[in-house]
Amino acid sequence: MKTLCDRQELQDAFAVVSGIPPLKSTKPILQNVLMRAADDGVTFFATDNEMSARSALSSVKVSEPGVILLPAKEAAALLRELGDKTVAIQAKDGRCRIECGGGAFDLLSPDASEFPTEPSFTPEVEVEVAAKVFQAMQRMTSFAVAREETRYAINGLLLDFVDGCLRMVGTDGRRLALAYANLPSNAQRARAVVPLRALQTLAKAVPGDNDETLRIGFGKNQMRFTVGSIQLISQLLENRFPEYEQVIPKAAESTIEIDRVELERNLRRVAILASDDVRMVRFKFSGNELEMTAESSNVGKARQTMTVDMKGKGGSIAFNPDFLIDALKVCELDVVRMDMTDGSIPAKFTLGESYCYVLMPISGT
Amino acid sequence: MRATLRRVSVRSILHADMDAFFAAVEQRDDPTLRGKPVIVGGLSRRGVVSTASYEARRFGVHSAMPTARARALCPLGVFLPPRMEAYAAVSATVQAIFGRFTPLVEPLSLDEAFLDVTASRALFGEGRAIAARIQREVRDATALSVSVGVAPCKFVAKVASDLRKPGGLVVVEPGDEAAFLAPLPVARLWGAGPVMQRRLDALGLRTIGDLAATSLESLTAAIGAAAADHFFALARGVDPREVVPDRDPLSIGRETTFQDDLVDDEAIDRVLRNLCESVAQRLRAEAKCARVVRVKLRFPPFLTHGCQTRVPAALDDELGLLRVARTLLAKGRPTGRPLRLLGVTAAELENRSASPRQLGLFDSPSEDPARVRRLTRAMDELRERFGDRVIRRGALGDAPDD
Repeated sequence: MKTLCDRQELQDAFAVVSGIPPLKSTKPILQNVLMRAADDGVTFFATDNEMSARSALSSVKVSEPGVILLPAKEAAALLRELGDKTVAIQAKDGRCRIECGGGAFDLLSPDASEFPTEPSFTPEVEVEVAAKVFQAMQRMTSFAVAREETRYAINGLLLDFVDGCLRMVGTDGRRLALAYANLPSNAQRARAVVPLRALQTLAKAVPGDNDETLRIGFGKNQMRFTVGSIQLISQLLENRFPEYEQVIPKAAESTIEIDRVELERNLRRVAILASDDVRMVRFKFSGNELEMTAESSNVGKARQTMTVDMKGKGGSIAFNPDFLIDALKVCELDVVRMDMTDGSIPAKFTLGESYCYVLMPISGT
Repeated sequence: MRATLRRVSVRSILHADMDAFFAAVEQRDDPTLRGKPVIVGGLSRRGVVSTASYEARRFGVHSAMPTARARALCPLGVFLPPRMEAYAAVSATVQAIFGRFTPLVEPLSLDEAFLDVTASRALFGEGRAIAARIQREVRDATALSVSVGVAPCKFVAKVASDLRKPGGLVVVEPGDEAAFLAPLPVARLWGAGPVMQRRLDALGLRTIGDLAATSLESLTAAIGAAAADHFFALARGVDPREVVPDRDPLSIGRETTFQDDLVDDEAIDRVLRNLCESVAQRLRAEAKCARVVRVKLRFPPFLTHGCQTRVPAALDDELGLLRVARTLLAKGRPTGRPLRLLGVTAAELENRSASPRQLGLFDSPSEDPARVRRLTRAMDELRERFGDRVIRRGALGDAPDD
């Protein structure tokens, strides 16, 4: 194998896949990236057996087709440091030689025939969405995904395609974020719980200003995402996502409209005095006033009032302030709408045209 | 010289017990409740009475009674849900008063504690004087009354504090313990549940005095050596248990080393279940719940691995613990790898008491923490009376053969 690549494009294409190889593995060969040079261009492929990604570069001259393995960590670090416009990569005596400017670097390269082959994938349902829209949805929901062990298999995001609407749902059992987009598709219902890591890898691979279309293929145990020349296939999490629709309040006794910037600023201030053991800020709505209070036995207490626009009888409810701040950070609207009934059932926040957030209160207040 | 030595060797233990604590706090905070029968407890259909005021006790209401029954006995009573935060605040004030007299304070719950004032006597006078000061200072600071028992050991002090409630101060001098206990029923003995009471009754032993007068041999023959030694000593007022100041355990753990390395998943899971059960029981006994669960694995010969995780809501039940521990075990143990040791530890413990709790979006009624807690508490009480193997959760499988 012998190639001459555009350095920038090489770096970008390699970065798409280089995060996938596991740092530690019982199969050391997985710590490599497979490079395949053919007449029509070069592709990179990496896998950790749970997900795999493929990227391609077209600004390349292949003088000798072939396949070679590059140690992911070292090659990624090396490529980042290269400065010249072009980079030559070739296989030589069981090594991979990278030449750029006056430098030549020989990396040990295991036998490529041992490397897993690319998984074959046939989608049962495939939908298309603007990559930009998908990424925004992901930003609005992924922070709510459980990072800790919980009793539900909710360490991933649910993609639920129903009646021409793609919903993305993240929850950790205490809060739930739901974003949706209407898609021109007459496909049947499809649903899958995708590991957060796969979506993070995808987000990193696709720049935010990307105008391309993302194709989402739902399979039985796998999911495929395709943008341009990038393809990512991930195993799905056990599909035991909780019945999320049931916990979204349909009606509420009070509806409150609150200035988003002011709310976030005030809440951050009050939250400083919420105790570390039980992060809690009390919200008390009466008339058109919101009073927020927090108390920490060894530090002190805080009280902050602000004007809101309320319909209904108001009441008290307590939240973990961090949960609400997380959502306000990605909120699209200037005025947040909150629907609540009392301090024992979830409150619903409308934070975007097609974005809602359900937050379970803290009891014992 | 002899007298001095004796003075040092005899302990002075106080047992202080707030009178009708929860109900008294309610009556203090709401003057319209004073003089009325006040019952604090779970108000739901299946709730139980936590505390009944003395006015309510005249109607036969007592703690641990189903609230429904209490309503029948005392229909005009004022029934209130507990305000644990308020009680905890008062409790902190009271505990602080105890702490003025000795560092050796062992709180048993929000409303009672043992104090070892043996070494404090040089500063504050005899046990009776300290007890009287505690009663006065508690009344001044909280407007509540506390009963205190003073004795050379924990058991007698506890019996004494209960004898003249409310506001009682009963002192049992060294040497008087057996005489003091003699007329009391055997049910007063620490560890004598209904079953043991029936067995003692069958032997004609009704009072503690009856038991002290019997021979240790005949008692051993009837109830076994361990129980006989225990009750025989208590009946004569001998209880060497120390007052252990409130130790705040950093973690609670259990581990088992296997005689032969275990490979079978089912067998390993069985051990895991027992460990979780045992840790959960300890957690509840200490009124703690855990924010972190840790699993320890040792592979032959000596390769030890630990994995842990934080849980979103603190745990004190075996099923919750088991769920997390299983996940950790699956992560930490490569399939089929033999195991030499398995351990489960609950860490980052917090007090269960009254702390506000994050509710869950998907909690189903059967997983309502209050209900789970009532069930596990009932199971713990059964185990305390009849032994560890009397009851276990179906989901945890059969008891280990041992």
